[in-house]
Amino acid sequence: MASNLTEEPAVEAEVPPASGREQTPKTSVVEQTHGGSSEAMEAEAANGLKPFTLEKIDTSNVENVTVEDGLKARGSVGDEIHAEDAEIEGIRGKNGSPSECREPCSEPLNSEEFHDTNQEIISAEDHLKTLSFAENQVPDNKLDAISIENEPENVRELEPDIDAMASVASPSSNGYAGSSSTKSDGSFSGIEEIDRGGTEPDNGVDEFSESASWVAGKRHLNEDDASISWRKRKKHFFVLSHSGKPIYSRYGDEHKLAGFSATLQAIISFVENGGDRVKLVRAGKHQVIFVVKGPIYLVCISCTEEPYVALRGQLELIYGQMLLILTKAVNRCFEKNPKFDMTPLLGGTEAVFSSLIHAFSWNPATFLHAYTCLPLSYSTRQATGAILQDVADSGVLFAILMCKHKVISLVGAQKASLHPDDMLLLSNFVLSSESFRTSESFSPICLPRYNPMAFLYAYVHYLDVEMYLILLTTNSDAFYHLKDCRIQIEMVLLKSNVLSEVQRSMLDGGLHVEDLPVDPSHPTLRSGSGSPHLGMQDHVIAGSPRQENAGIGGPAGLWHFIYRSIYLDQYVASEFSSPINSCKQQKRLYRAYQRLYASMHDKEAGPHKTQFRKDEDYVLLCWITQDFELYAAFDPLAEKVMKWLGCEVLEWKQDRGSGVETRSSFWSGGVPVQAAELWSRFMLTVKV
Amino acid sequence: MGLSSPVPVGEGFQFCVFDLRRGQHEGQELDKILFFFPIDSPLPLQLSVIGLSEGLITFTRIFSPDAACEVIEAERHSHTFYQAEPDIWMIMVVEKTKDTDAIGRSDALQGVLKEVHSLFTMFFGSIRGLLEKQPGGGTARSLLYFFIMDYLAEFLVGKKLQMPCSRDCLRERGTVQMLTTGREAAIEVQSLVRLLESSCVANMSCHSLVLYHDLLVSTTLPPGDTANLFNYALLRLTPNALSSVTSSWSYLRKSSSGASQESVNPILANIGVPSEEVSHSSRDTSPNRQGQRHHVARPLQRGKWWRGEDGFAVTENWGSEIGNRIFYTPTVWLQQIEEHMHLCVYQHKSLTIILLISTSLLVNGEQGISFVKQLLLENASLKILKVEEKLSKEWGGENAYHVRGYRYLLLDNDSIVSRASPPGKVTTLSKGSLMAMSKLREEVDQEKRKAKRDDPDHEKDFEVCMRAKNNAWIVARVSRGKELYMVLEKASETLLFASEAVDKFSNRFRPEAS
Repeated sequence: MASNLTEEPAVEAEVPPASGREQTPKTSVVEQTHGGSSEAMEAEAANGLKPFTLEKIDTSNVENVTVEDGLKARGSVGDEIHAEDAEIEGIRGKNGSPSECREPCSEPLNSEEFHDTNQEIISAEDHLKTLSFAENQVPDNKLDAISIENEPENVRELEPDIDAMASVASPSSNGYAGSSSTKSDGSFSGIEEIDRGGTEPDNGVDEFSESASWVAGKRHLNEDDASISWRKRKKHFFVLSHSGKPIYSRYGDEHKLAGFSATLQAIISFVENGGDRVKLVRAGKHQVIFVVKGPIYLVCISCTEEPYVALRGQLELIYGQMLLILTKAVNRCFEKNPKFDMTPLLGGTEAVFSSLIHAFSWNPATFLHAYTCLPLSYSTRQATGAILQDVADSGVLFAILMCKHKVISLVGAQKASLHPDDMLLLSNFVLSSESFRTSESFSPICLPRYNPMAFLYAYVHYLDVEMYLILLTTNSDAFYHLKDCRIQIEMVLLKSNVLSEVQRSMLDGGLHVEDLPVDPSHPTLRSGSGSPHLGMQDHVIAGSPRQENAGIGGPAGLWHFIYRSIYLDQYVASEFSSPINSCKQQKRLYRAYQRLYASMHDKEAGPHKTQFRKDEDYVLLCWITQDFELYAAFDPLAEKVMKWLGCEVLEWKQDRGSGVETRSSFWSGGVPVQAAELWSRFMLTVKV
Repeated sequence: MGLSSPVPVGEGFQFCVFDLRRGQHEGQELDKILFFFPIDSPLPLQLSVIGLSEGLITFTRIFSPDAACEVIEAERHSHTFYQAEPDIWMIMVVEKTKDTDAIGRSDALQGVLKEVHSLFTMFFGSIRGLLEKQPGGGTARSLLYFFIMDYLAEFLVGKKLQMPCSRDCLRERGTVQMLTTGREAAIEVQSLVRLLESSCVANMSCHSLVLYHDLLVSTTLPPGDTANLFNYALLRLTPNALSSVTSSWSYLRKSSSGASQESVNPILANIGVPSEEVSHSSRDTSPNRQGQRHHVARPLQRGKWWRGEDGFAVTENWGSEIGNRIFYTPTVWLQQIEEHMHLCVYQHKSLTIILLISTSLLVNGEQGISFVKQLLLENASLKILKVEEKLSKEWGGENAYHVRGYRYLLLDNDSIVSRASPPGKVTTLSKGSLMAMSKLREEVDQEKRKAKRDDPDHEKDFEVCMRAKNNAWIVARVSRGKELYMVLEKASETLLFASEAVDKFSNRFRPEAS
């Protein structure tokens, strides 16, 4: 793709000042990637060079705002267009933050099935949800599909302006207004990266000991490699250039870490000079992981005992996040000047990286390489998909409606698919940049898995406190068009009550293992026998509603599960419930899943088919087929049940053949239904 | 399914020992190096390997002061570190080949370093002690050179060194394999041990090990010392090791024992230098010791142990100096009981008796040893015959501990004992199964390390039962310091079946039953 690109000379620009907002537009390079004549390209390039200014509508913040194409604008997400629409004001503030309130489900399950062709993407959560609830326990958040629509004819992508990139010399040129609180409501939400004493008493420094709630942005700026506290941080991330210049450090001031950065560079170069490439250094519980991406080196130093592949994956995501902001074209800066200082280009993006790094400790999407959806009724999602589809037909590459990190609907141009990692990085970028929340924005971004060399343009607008719309285009002049699209979308969403449904779904939360049905014919069945080591008492339930069973886990000792649909690239995780209550327990389970995933997906020996893993904390079961992956945590005291269950699962598979048929036959009753059935049969068989 | 051809560890293999306290000044860096293999490596390369190692040891101590660098994984090489003694490091660099099963677990590779060091210490004491005795380092270098070269020869397959790899995942280096005896035989062995002790002069510290073929029957030593002596016996003292003909089998060393029976060190021969002619000075990195030649005891040299007419094994050129006295009977330093002991080896058919007599109490040197030997023959000859007879009747052959349908390894960490499927049977496993087991063991190693760090007094129990992509069940179970690893390739589809099979096996075969 990149080879077809023609490059227009960039217009040299002055370095924008700190605020950058009053600056006149700079320049951009527009390149044609999908067909189109050279004339067309030139025309596009000319458009790209044209200053693009608009006046803000919001009178409370009167200023002329510029859009800077390419990397000039890149350094300033906070400087995007601020054009607030009065129409949306009414919507803002209606949605409170999600509470713990969980309403019982009342609406019948929509029986329409979700997947038919590749034109439709089915929410894994939807999918599992249909399967998971017995008919008399149907939730109101019904299921439907997210569709991908046709790609517009004239898809263009933009290559960043390298010279402009190189010319951005001042750290103050950035305008990222990070530091928004992006505490997630996801299944692992609220897990703070805290390892207070506990299993690692020697590690005296708590990462987030100052506050119970996590706040994005850089901390401990006063530290450097001479600080004892710095050395005791559990997980460091560093980005440096091949000449040893620091680009990013999770803790401490990059400039103070120049010497340390040079040491990392020396280690990498020393091994490289011997014709090899260093990947990992292990010392006690510490691991040092190295990833080399051309002229950019990424290093993680961690004592969290996560698997090597997981930490490596995290470095890859950090690199991806960097590409999302700068594109791979930044490499050319290093070709021109090996000692190029990249720090100013990323200035102000601390919140983006700290938020991503925080996600490594709570968001399963970071290791599952799948995204999760907000539970919604079929009709609601259908309505959402339809309006996004209309927009996509008018030249939008991707239209994404999200609520926090959960996807409400996604529409893509034909043949254009959005990689889950890109989705993660994009949503992280939007969620962690405060400026997106306060105004509608038009910002160049790069999707590293889609095309690491080129910029797309993202129109971002929050529809309420947590719900936001992203429209991606290749056209740098599309702001007004996308704004119109947004207005259109917003109107439809308002009329069809989608906004209120989304809010209700947020309040309801996701799946709960307590909702899984227990066979009522066995009134004495114990569901989730309490775990003495977690201080839980046994509870006896018999298919009673969730409210009465709160705090005891699901049937057969099921505590939590994650279901990942392979061909949908989606996952659904149950909400945490007792006894996985505390952040520490949730984080421990998260890490256990992470290890299980790494173990099952071993690069050389895997992927394996089944794994049963029992220790003092859990019984973990993983089952991978060509269609799905199931990760489940059970009470460790339910060992026999699980073995039996595992056995049944496999026999089931054998009985029903393979592939889709297996899945549909097994899952159509829902995991919980099956688990309950198996539990009953187990009770009868072994006479426990 | 058989395995692929042996994994070559070729030019990329390096082994070095260095002392961080030496060569502190610029220009004297070579003084750090106590041993380097290949010996003909250019000095800049040697310095580069040591430099990287030292650099990373220093670097990792910034974050992990208590446990410095253990492993470097690079794309083409794996560096395994072992701090044998304070500031004395052993590094092994193994090249990764295209064959993905080439590299073993890092713990298995580190096991090689641990074994060579513990054997070295058994014969020569600590490296630091040698360096303090002779600050120039000449003695330490000479001893290390011949010892490690003789040791590495054990890993030669053809002309290649074959380090532990994934196909060795059902073995555990450095452990003891026991012979399970019937009640009668056990009573006979017990009375033999009492007789052996009575052969020694009153109040004399005396210990014994009894081996049958390559398996341990009895020991009066603590586990660590037993494991060291047992492994040395396997290398040089058992009937298989003593005879000069092709060896038959050995639990741990079958693959390599037949490969290099020459008296000339095959590694030395491979590089074109007869061992007798080699002077360590040829690769000595310290300029002020050029030309030094030493008479060096070589406990691991092949073909230097014979069975004498009286049944006692004898060795040549092994003068050892304890205080002011010279002994021609080998002596060993047993770390756990902290004693220097004379090593007397008696052999009758497949029965090997290792008698250890404290040097501190045997005042009249070789004469005293002769007296003890004579006493042993007088007192215990008949009992030895009887025990040998009993054991030979019970002896089930090399596949005695094969359990049909299972490929397993049982480990008891407290007593450093293991039992495993015979190597010949393990080779029938597919490469995929072995790879999966090797990876699972790597995970278990990590879990064990983590549990040990979290709470050294609490042994964490856990179990993993995994169905690999080739449908084999790969099982690991750690419970109360004992570990069971198992591969079931022909098990049924169900987890329950696999789990029951493991339970059945666990109940039937336990290391402590040995």
